[in-house]
Parts: sequence; C-alpha cells; structure tokens
Amino acid sequence: MPHAIVPPYLLARIASIREPEFARAAEAARETLAVQRAYRPPRRSRLRLSLDGADTLVAETTPAPDRTISDAKNREELPGVVVRREGDPPTGDTAVDEAFDGLGSTFDFMWDAFLRDSISGAGSELLATVHFGRDYDNAFWDGRRMVFGDGDGEIFAGFTGSLSVIAHELGHGVIESAGGLLYRGQSGALNESIADVFGALAEQHRADQTADQASWLIGEGIFTDAVEGRALRSMIEPGTAYDDDVLGRDPQPAHMSDYIVTTDDNGGVHLNSGIPNRAFALAATTLGGRAWERAGLVWYRALTSGTLSRTADFAQFAAATLAAAEAEYGEESEEVDAVRSGWVGVGVIGNGRDEQPRA
Amino acid sequence: MDETSSRAPDERHSPEPLVVAVKRTGGFAGLTRTWTAEARGDEASELVELVHRCPWDEPVDSDPRGADRFQWNIRARCGVDEDRAAELPDHAVKGPWKELIDAVREWSESERRPAQQR
Repeated sequence: MPHAIVPPYLLARIASIREPEFARAAEAARETLAVQRAYRPPRRSRLRLSLDGADTLVAETTPAPDRTISDAKNREELPGVVVRREGDPPTGDTAVDEAFDGLGSTFDFMWDAFLRDSISGAGSELLATVHFGRDYDNAFWDGRRMVFGDGDGEIFAGFTGSLSVIAHELGHGVIESAGGLLYRGQSGALNESIADVFGALAEQHRADQTADQASWLIGEGIFTDAVEGRALRSMIEPGTAYDDDVLGRDPQPAHMSDYIVTTDDNGGVHLNSGIPNRAFALAATTLGGRAWERAGLVWYRALTSGTLSRTADFAQFAAATLAAAEAEYGEESEEVDAVRSGWVGVGVIGNGRDEQPRA
Repeated sequence: MDETSSRAPDERHSPEPLVVAVKRTGGFAGLTRTWTAEARGDEASELVELVHRCPWDEPVDSDPRGADRFQWNIRARCGVDEDRAAELPDHAVKGPWKELIDAVREWSESERRPAQQR
C-alpha cells in the first residue's frame, strides 16, 4: 500500500463533504481514495467475538492467516504440490492438517501477544511443506517456508504433532524478518533460543497456561515410545529433556560455566541455546502469570527494536532485553528486576545491581 | 612368509581397510548421529568408487538463509596416505555426496541391526 501524507480516515471525511464550496476538495479526496484502493493488496481479516470483563459482547476485526500447505511426496524437493489453502476443509492427511492448524495457532499467538500480523508483520503468507524426504529426521526453515520430514519411525514419530516445533520454525522467519541473527556461535544460539521462546509461548497461549503451569518443553511428543525422553529440550532445566541408551543424554548447558565450544552444529547453536532459554524461563516464572504478556513482550521488543546487531552475543542481547524492559515498564520495575535475575541466573551478567552485561 | 601371497588378489591392492565416517550435527533436534563403514577387498570396491566420485576439493557455497538444517562432516581413509575430509551444509548433500552418505548409513545400520532392535 502506498504511504500517503493524508491518512485514509481524513480523506474519507473530506470525500463525504457535501457543501458546494468544498466540492473540488471532496472530488480530489474521492479520486485519491480510489487510486489507493487500486494499489491496496487484498487483506485477510476476520470477525472475532469475545466477552469483556463486564460480560459485554465485543466484536473486533483482526487479521487472518493466509496458509498454504504443500506435500513433497517423500521427495527432497521444494515446494511440492499444494494440498491445502486457506479456507479449504481438512484433507484427512494428519501432517497436512496438523501443520495447517499449528500455523493458525502460531498466527493467533503472535497477534494476541504482540499485535504482529504474520511473519513479516504485514500479513505475509504462511508456507509449509510436509512429507519432505523419506524417513527424514528433521524440521527446518529454508528462508521462505517451514519444512517437515516424517521422522524415521524409530527415534522420531514426526514433527507436526508438536506446536512448539511449528512455532519454532515460524519464529525463525520472524527473527529473519526483524533483521536476523547470524546462524553461528552465540548469535546463532540466540536465534535458536528466541525460536524456542516462540515455540513454548505459542503452546502456552493455546492452552492458556501461566508460566508456573507450563512444561517449558520443546518438541514434546515427537519421540517414539522407544526413546527414553520427554522432549528435545527443556527451557527451564536444560540438559534434562532425555537420557536414552541410543541418543545419550540431553547435552544442553544451563549456565555460561558449561558453555560448549565446538565446530559442530554451526558452533553449537542447538546446544548453547540452553543458556538464554533458561534465562527467559527464569524471568518468566519469576514474574508469573502468562509468560507472553511480560517476559515474552520484552524479548519480542528486544528482537524487533531495530538496534540488535546480527552478530549479537548473549551479553548484548541481555542488554537489549534490559533496555526493552526499562522502556516498557520503567527502570525500577519488577520486570527489569526479573529480566536481570534471569541473566544473572545463567551467568551472562554478574550479581551487582548496576553491573552491565559482560561483553 | 610373505603374508600378502595368501590373500585374494584384490586385497593385495588394498591392504588397508576403507573407512568412511559420516557425522551429522544440527537439525531442529540438535542431535549428533554418526555412521561408519569399514570395508576391505571386494566389499570396499563400491564404496571406493563412491568416495572417488565425490568432489572433495570443490568449494561449497554456504547458504546464509534458513535455520535448523543439518551439517555434515565426512571423512574417508582409502589407504595409508589417502585421507579426505569435507564439511557440507545440508543443501550440498546431493548427487555423489548423497549416494556416499546413504551407502555409509546403510552399511552402518546393517552392521548394527543384529545387536540393536531399533
């Protein structure tokens, strides 16, 4: 939509003026509105009805998701064949319908929590491909779409059954849209951690859970029964999600003193993400209530502030969350204290009240 | 006694076993998986051919887009003086690389199967 100096509501008011002395202005406003409409992309919206505190029926128009699910038919080629678009009925294919519903839940979470309209914030499409590859043991974000394998049936039972997986992948899209975090080392681990925050919060939002009710698990239910484990990761207790004779023990560190230096996994992005994951879970559980309302908002503001470097390390992101909490709630607020204690708890910043995050 | 004289002719040409190790890290799960094939003589010939078909020395474009892709680390020892190694992003695993990785996984899993039921 083109940006204009005169806002549409004012144009509409001028266009409706009937006094003859303003006829030319009214005509010009009508023409301007007509031109704008021609350029305006189709926007999806829906009517949502709810009850407010006084049991008054509230009707509001909110954006609606625009989902397209494709089927790779067990080949490793993207995007595959489109099998379900927005407005289509369920297909009966579990992975297709789970991906469709999961994207819808994640869309709702982002709008309710942050007033964010899809990945880009401007109503972008939500694209996903399921049945990628044969026995493919992964779900990933390819820069444009979410892609889900079926799992091998021995370790992984599939990936679309867990909303935290779907919201995690969509979270990578939001991070990229917000400016990105280089997928290596600490900035890569932050990228992973923030995607996990999206994953956990989308699940908590769907279940309307408070921070103390939440499992804080990522990927619950994607292991087969043969694996000794609850999930892939625990945000609140990193390193405890599984302990299995084939997979070994969950290797995630929960504190900077156990930070893993490795060249594998782009510098351990899925390992060291345990540290900022725990910082978030600590801040959220300290604050209590719905985690997306305060801790989640602070993390989101830090990500989308426009000032976060693509190569930010843990300390720089900690500083960004503290700045976001101060801007949102004030310097002396309990939110700032909770965020600081979260980062102190994982050793990213020291104990002193005025201490700055370690560079 | 000349030990090599008692071996099959093809073994005389490859007294050292062929060892190919594949390590996969990353992915959404962040799980490390490893597969190894160790073969001699006739058994090795197919793998040797696959190893030689892979473009070990060609630079691989890194793709900055996306997240949660696998990262592959492949090492091959074809003889005393022939060690090769490559690190590949997931998008580069196609053609001969994919054939080699699939062959090593299949080899490794067929070795493991009798002892392990999953």
